[in-house]
Amino acid sequence: MSPPKLTKDQVQKLAFSAIGFVFLLYVYFTFFLGPLNRSRAAMLVTIRDLQSKLDESKDEMKKAVSLEKQAITATSRFAALKALSPEGAPIAWFPPRLKTFFAQQQIDKAVAHLENSTAFKEAELSGWTKYNWLIDLPQADFASVGTAIAELENTEPLLSITRLHIQTLASQPQFQHVELAAASIIEKR
Amino acid sequence: MALHLNLLHEEILEHRQRQRDPLKIGMMVLAGFGAFLFLYYMFNAYRTLEIKSRLRAVERNWTKIEPEVTAAHNRVAELEGVIKTTRALDNYIENRFFWAPFLQKVSRCVPPNTQLTSLEASVLDENKGVSVSLEGVAAGREPRSVAEDLRQMLIEQLGQGYSGVKVEFKTLEDLDAIVNVGGTNMPMAHYLLAVNFNPGPMAKSAASPSPDRTRKR
Repeated sequence: MSPPKLTKDQVQKLAFSAIGFVFLLYVYFTFFLGPLNRSRAAMLVTIRDLQSKLDESKDEMKKAVSLEKQAITATSRFAALKALSPEGAPIAWFPPRLKTFFAQQQIDKAVAHLENSTAFKEAELSGWTKYNWLIDLPQADFASVGTAIAELENTEPLLSITRLHIQTLASQPQFQHVELAAASIIEKR
Repeated sequence: MALHLNLLHEEILEHRQRQRDPLKIGMMVLAGFGAFLFLYYMFNAYRTLEIKSRLRAVERNWTKIEPEVTAAHNRVAELEGVIKTTRALDNYIENRFFWAPFLQKVSRCVPPNTQLTSLEASVLDENKGVSVSLEGVAAGREPRSVAEDLRQMLIEQLGQGYSGVKVEFKTLEDLDAIVNVGGTNMPMAHYLLAVNFNPGPMAKSAASPSPDRTRKR
């Protein structure tokens, strides 16, 4: 059976139909199915992200609870170390505190000067500052100084003596002139 | 055989031609394909709506839990910071050099016929060691031996608590002055001792036996 002969008009219509068909497909995929698929894919990605966040959040909350239990010692110790630094500028309270301390140790004359202060390079100590002090005890005896230093080292854990100079006094041989360089770590307020 | 006369053959041909019209067939195929595409679109739209409802549910959950999570996250960060800071502070505290035991050891080493006139000590940077300078005078029949006794004693005493102990004379010279010790006039010597050691105790494997000390009087 031979194919039916198409008239010129029919061929024209067929050609227009074919073009229309291609256009229809383009519009369908570009403006309907494409955006729909894209939005679905985006939603799936969002769901996956949120789901992973939800899973992580459960872990995070468990971690927070367990860390809270583990950190009891650290937090109490941290609070105790923080409590060693009173409010206010260290230059205002540190020298009087040392003067009182040495007076309790039978060393009447004690003067503390602030030499300088430096920030820590370590990130975990960014909230703390190191203050370098010069402590002058112009009249003290060796035994009292030794006892006082032992007491100071035990009661001031954040204070570290870096230099020590003990010199006899020619005029009063029973006394010595003592100079201490000490570094103390104090929380930034 | 019967004879059939088709008097309407033109109409029938026209009817058949109408039925086989490619334009009509094409339009029907197009309509069918269009219907298929529409159904496919509807199917996808339904799936999308379903996913959207799932997304809403997940978003609702997240919105509900997010403040708690943020609080927990902040708390974890805070606690980790506290733990790290406490650890760093503890390291600092533990790595301090304690001077009181050192002064006690020095005081034990000084015999009655020796006097320390100056003690200058400092912790080297980054706790690399401790450097001490001791200055004084020694009196005795052989004042240099008395000073040497002090040096030996320092090595022995400091060696018990610290490692890498080095005690060296920087100066040891006789003095012209005479001092009366216990009713006896004795010559004196002036000494300057340089002491160096590491604050940490000596490791057992590396520990060497303490040197024999012969006290000369």
